[in-house]
Amino acid sequence: MEIKIMKNILDRNQNKANEVRSLLASKKVIMVNIISSPGAGKTTLLECTLECLVKSFKIGVIEGDITTDRDARRLKRFGIPIVVINTGGGCHLDSHSISKVLAHFDLDDLDVIFVENVGNLICPSQFDLGETFKLAVVSVAEGDDKPEKYPMLFREARAVILNKTDLIAHTDFSNENFTSDLNKINSRIIRFDVSCTRGDGLRSWLEWISGQITGLSHI
Amino acid sequence: MHELKIAEELASVVIEAAKKENLSRVTEVNISFGELVQIVPDIFRFAFSETVRDTLAENANVNIEIIQVRMRCIDCGNDFRVTNNEFSCDSCGSADIDITEGRELFVKSIEGE
Repeated sequence: MEIKIMKNILDRNQNKANEVRSLLASKKVIMVNIISSPGAGKTTLLECTLECLVKSFKIGVIEGDITTDRDARRLKRFGIPIVVINTGGGCHLDSHSISKVLAHFDLDDLDVIFVENVGNLICPSQFDLGETFKLAVVSVAEGDDKPEKYPMLFREARAVILNKTDLIAHTDFSNENFTSDLNKINSRIIRFDVSCTRGDGLRSWLEWISGQITGLSHI
Repeated sequence: MHELKIAEELASVVIEAAKKENLSRVTEVNISFGELVQIVPDIFRFAFSETVRDTLAENANVNIEIIQVRMRCIDCGNDFRVTNNEFSCDSCGSADIDITEGRELFVKSIEGE
């Protein structure tokens, strides 16, 4: 006997993500889902971002990590609400875990939530969290082939940060290959080339993200 | 390893549907995956078989159809298949395109007795 089902396997995740998105929109809070491989510099980017924006905006952070709260401890000095989700081996966050931890934030008193997803380029891009947009972070040390190898993330991300540009001379990273692959996949993606450790290029990123928060959180 | 989480979600959909239809055993699970979701079929089958151990879907065959990426150009209406990750219209060059196929994670049907 054959039974027709015709259903999206990730329906439950999608439905919950839609609920999260509506809730955040009603509270005028934007959520940025930051996705990269391990070690690309998500936490360092957050440190640089918080350093500059914490005085202007009300910010919350959700730290997704397989285990430990090391990343969260690095951000503690900013005195903002931070919630850690340990996935216990899981390679990505999902909308159910996000929905649960939103209860720990006072959404009426926030402009933006940065979600640091688990370091991974494939799995997190399949699971909608209810975010306003995805931000991809890659570093020159990983090589220039990431857009071509992981097209879904670069297709879906609103912006991409190319980090560790100070190391470019020590790698075989080809800016030409990276740019051409990225343009083929998503010619509208907004790109920032930065070195979070040296501070190069951060100003453009900070101006852009501030504009996203002011523009979107007060609609 | 997003295969594991997706396999768990599939298992819950399959078992729920089987119980609703009073099946005592599920023999086939027919699903479609789009190329863009980058599922490795062998890893997925293994993850699913582990997830459904000791349930009525134990030993079910998982038949996976892989769907190639297709797009439609918003500007000129061209409907085309994508090769080499070129996400722009192969006729007019526009980057305003909708992905119409290739992102599926879809359960079509189950078979059982």
